[in-house]
Amino acid sequence: MLAYSLKKLLQLVVTTIGVVMLVFFAMRLIPGDAAAAMAGDTLSGAALERLRDQMGLNDPLLVQFWNFVRGLLVLDFGRTLTTNLPVSDLIRSAAPITLLIAIATIILAIAIAIPLGTVAAFMAHKGHKTLDNLITGLAMIIDLMPSFWTALVFLLIFSLTLGWFPASGPISWDDPYSIVMRLALPILVLSLSQVAILARMTRTAVLEVLSEDYVRTARAMGWSELRVLFRHALKNAALPIVTVVGLSFGNLLNGTIIVEAIFTIPGVGTVLINGINSRDYQLVQVLMIFYALLFVFINFATDILYRALDPRVKF
Amino acid sequence: MIHQGEITAPLLDVRNLRTEFATDGGTVRAVDDASFSIMPGERIAVVGESGSGKSAMAMSILRLLVYPGRVVAGDVLLEGTNIAQLSERQLNQLRGRSVGTVFQDPMSSLDPVMRISKQMTAPIMRNLGMNYKEAHAEAVEWLRKVGIPDPERRITAFPFEMSGGMRQRVMIAMALSCRPKLLIADEPTTALDVTIQAQIVEILKKLTSEANTAMMFITHDLGLVARLADKVAVMYAGRIVEFATVEEIFAAPCHPYTQSLLRTIPSPTALNTSRLPQIPGLPPDMKKAIQGCAFRERCRAATDICAREAPALTDRGASHVAACWQPEGLGSSPIDAQPDRALRRNDGPFRDRVIVEINNLNKHFVSSSFLSRTKRNVIRAVNGVSLRVRQGETLGIVGESGCGKSTLARLLLGLEKPSSGEIFTEGLTQMVFQDPASSFNPKMRIRSIIEEPLLVKRKGDWRTRQARVEELVKLVGLDEAHLDRFPGQLSGGQLQRIAVARALALEPSVVVADEPTSALDVSVRAQIINLLADLKQELGVAFVFISHDLLTVQYISDRIAVMYLGEVVEYGPADLVFNSPSHPYTKALIDAVPIPDPAREAKRASAVLKGELPSPLSEISGCTFATRCPLATEQCRTEKPKLRQHRKSREAACHYAK
Repeated sequence: MLAYSLKKLLQLVVTTIGVVMLVFFAMRLIPGDAAAAMAGDTLSGAALERLRDQMGLNDPLLVQFWNFVRGLLVLDFGRTLTTNLPVSDLIRSAAPITLLIAIATIILAIAIAIPLGTVAAFMAHKGHKTLDNLITGLAMIIDLMPSFWTALVFLLIFSLTLGWFPASGPISWDDPYSIVMRLALPILVLSLSQVAILARMTRTAVLEVLSEDYVRTARAMGWSELRVLFRHALKNAALPIVTVVGLSFGNLLNGTIIVEAIFTIPGVGTVLINGINSRDYQLVQVLMIFYALLFVFINFATDILYRALDPRVKF
Repeated sequence: MIHQGEITAPLLDVRNLRTEFATDGGTVRAVDDASFSIMPGERIAVVGESGSGKSAMAMSILRLLVYPGRVVAGDVLLEGTNIAQLSERQLNQLRGRSVGTVFQDPMSSLDPVMRISKQMTAPIMRNLGMNYKEAHAEAVEWLRKVGIPDPERRITAFPFEMSGGMRQRVMIAMALSCRPKLLIADEPTTALDVTIQAQIVEILKKLTSEANTAMMFITHDLGLVARLADKVAVMYAGRIVEFATVEEIFAAPCHPYTQSLLRTIPSPTALNTSRLPQIPGLPPDMKKAIQGCAFRERCRAATDICAREAPALTDRGASHVAACWQPEGLGSSPIDAQPDRALRRNDGPFRDRVIVEINNLNKHFVSSSFLSRTKRNVIRAVNGVSLRVRQGETLGIVGESGCGKSTLARLLLGLEKPSSGEIFTEGLTQMVFQDPASSFNPKMRIRSIIEEPLLVKRKGDWRTRQARVEELVKLVGLDEAHLDRFPGQLSGGQLQRIAVARALALEPSVVVADEPTSALDVSVRAQIINLLADLKQELGVAFVFISHDLLTVQYISDRIAVMYLGEVVEYGPADLVFNSPSHPYTKALIDAVPIPDPAREAKRASAVLKGELPSPLSEISGCTFATRCPLATEQCRTEKPKLRQHRKSREAACHYAK
C-alpha cells in the first residue's frame, strides 16, 4: 500500500510538471502580444517596449518559465494584467465557493445515484423489469438535458416564478443560510447530470456483480439478500463506481463554469471567464493550472481509494 | 419396525422437480420431472453433458436459481421439510447450515475483496453460535483438515493470494464448517489439475465419511464417479434417464445413453487398436418441445414407440431404474453405424522421417518490478526441451497447467520467439485451438473462414479455392450446407471440425492441437478424436496433441512427452509410457487419473501426489520434481537429471529410471 501510494504520488508530481509546462508554453504559442493587448491603443513604440520589459516578456523563454514556476512554488501568481490585483487573492476568494459547489454536488449525486442504481440492478436481477426500466429511462432523459438548459429552466421556475431561491446576490461566509439558499440551485442542477451517469453506472456494475459466482456462494451460505447486496455485491461494485466518480469530476468542473455564469456566482469559473474575455493571460494560465491540478489530485485520490477497496490492484 | 423406518428415511427426497428457463428463443425445460432420494451419508453422482440439466437440478434444490430460471413444479423434502415451500427467511436458515455447497470454479466463487477469515468465520458464528474467537479457531482447524499448510497465517489471506486448488480447499472447508447433513458439489474438481483433483477428491471422501455427510456431486467425468460415488443419476436433456448403484451403472447399464457414454471413454489399459466408438449426432435443442424419448435420434435401438411417447423410469433391479422402452437398451449392438475400422498405430517401427526437430529450446519470460529494477524475475516457461516429431505420427504432450505445454505450442507455431535453441520444421505448421467458439470471427461465414488461409497465401483462383473449401468440409465429416452458416449457428463439435478443416487447408505437415477436445462434451469428444485419427491415417499429417486429459492423449498418441515445469521429464511410445511409466511424475499423473471402473478404483491405492507445482520463479538446482517426489534423495536435490535414454526408444529425466 505504501509503495503503491508513493508510486501514485510520483505520477502525480510528473503529471503536475507536465501540466505546468503545457499551460505555460501553450499560452506562449497563442499569436498576439500580451503587452499590446493589455495596452490597447494607448501605447506605442518605446512605451510598449518598456511595458514588455516590465512584464518580463523580453526575457528568454526559459527565464520566463523559471520565474513562472518559482512564482507557483511560493504561491505568488503575479498580478492580473487588467485590474492589477494579486491573482492569489482572486483565487482565495473564488476557490472555496467552487470547491463547495463541486464537493456538495458529488456528495448529493452519490447519495441519490447509488441507492437508485442499486435498486434498479436488484430489480433487474430478480426479473422485475418495471422499476428498473423506470429508473434507467429517467436517468437517460436527465442525461440528455444539457446543464445550461436545466440551469435556466430551474432559474426560471424556482427563482423567478416561485421565488424560493434568490437568483443573485452576494455570498457571505458569515451567513451559512444565505450560502445554502444561494448555492442550492446550482448544486441541484449539477448533481442531476452526475446522478444520471452514476446511477446507470451503478446499475451496470451491481447487476454484473450480482451474477458473480461469489454472490451465489454467499446466498448458498444462507446470507439474506440484503446482506449479500451490501456486504458482497456493493463492495465489489464500488470499484468501477469509484472510477466513474473520479472521471466524471472533470465533467463536473466544466459544469461549474457554466452554472456559475448563469447563477452569477463569484467562483473560479466566473473569474476564468472574465479573464478570458479581457485576454488576461496571466490570470488564465494560473486558473488553468488550478483546474488541471484539481483534476489530477482527484484522480490521485481515486487511485488510492481504489487500492484501499481492492487488494488485488497492482501498480 | 417404526425405528427401522426412521433409520431408512431419506435425507433428501426430490419429487417431480421441474425447472424452466425463459429465454428469447422459448422456454427451456432444464429439469423435467426429476425424482430421486439421498440417504444420510450417501454419495450420489449426477452425470450428464452440458445442458443436460444437472447444475440446474442442484441449484433448484436450494432454490439458488436466478432469473430467468425458476422451479415450476415439484417438492424437495429435506428431512421431511419441503424446501420448495419455505419462506425466504427459513430457507436462509437451512442454506449453509443443513446443506453446504461447493461450486465449480474456485477462482470466482470466493469474494475477491474479503479476507478468507471473514468469509469463513461469519457463517460459523451465525450457525454454530460461536463468538469470533471460537469461530476463528474453528475456521483454522477446518483449513488444517482440508490440507492448507500454515492455516493460522493463510486464513488472513485474500482469495487472489491463493492457487485454484487452495481456494477450492477453502470452499470445501467453508461448506463443511457448519456441519451440514448434505453437501452439494457442482463439478468441484473440473477446473483443477489432475493431481490436485486427486487430492481434493481424497479430502471430500475422508471428511464426508467422518461426519456421515451425504453428498450430491455433479460431474461429467465417469472416472470420478467410479472413484467417489455410491449411486449414480444419469441425466439427458433435462431428465434422469437412469439411476442405480455405481456398480450396476458400470457393470450393467440399461439406458442406451449410459451404455454409449461408457463405451466412448478410451480404456486406460488396453492397447487401443480400434476406433473409439462414438455417439452419432448431437443432444437435442432444449428450446424446442421434445416429442417422445429425447435420445431416440442418437439411439440405434429406437423404435416407433420411442418417437411417440417418452419412456418413464421403470425398475430394472432392486435399486436400479432406467427410462427406456427397450428392456436391454442397446444390448450388444454397436452404438454407431460406422464400420469398426482398425486404428493404425505408428508404434513398432516408426516412420523415420523427422519433420519437426526441436533442439535445446528455451523460452524465458523476464519481468522486473517497479521499485527494484535490479531484481529480475525469470519464468522458465520452456527449459531445454528437445523433441522430434515424425511424419504421420501423433505426439501427445501432457502436464499440469503451468508446465509450459502451451508455450511450447506457441513456439512451434512461431507465435513466440525462442530465447535460445532451435526449431526445424519441414513443411507448414498449423493450429487448432481449445475453444472453437472464440477462435472464429463470428461475423464470417464458414466458407470464408476455411478459405482464409488460402487467401492469405494467395493459393489458386476463386474457383479452385471454392473447390478446395468444399473438399475440406467433406474431409472433416460435414457437408456443403454448413458452408454458408455463421459460427454461432454450429455446435461446438461442428466448429471444432471446421477448425480442423481450416488448419488443413494449406496441406500442413504438422497440426498443433492445443486442448482441442477439452471444451467439448463427452459424447462429441469421441467424434473429434476419431476424426483426428482418421486424418492422420489418410493424409499422413503429423499431430502435436496437447492436453491435460491423459486418457485421451494416451488413446490418440503414438508417442507421449510428459512435461513438468518447462522440461520434458519423460518421452516414449504412448502405451509403454502409460502402462509402465519410468519417471515418478508420470506415474503420479497416471495414478491421479480416475478410472471409469469402480472395481479397479476400489482396489487402487490412494497414493496421492503431495503438494502443488512450485512457483515457476523459484530457482531449483536439482531435479525440478524433487520437492514433490516420493523417491527423492539427496542426489535429486543437488544434481539435475538429464533426459536420457534408459530403455529402448524411451527417455526419462530421472536418476533412478531403469
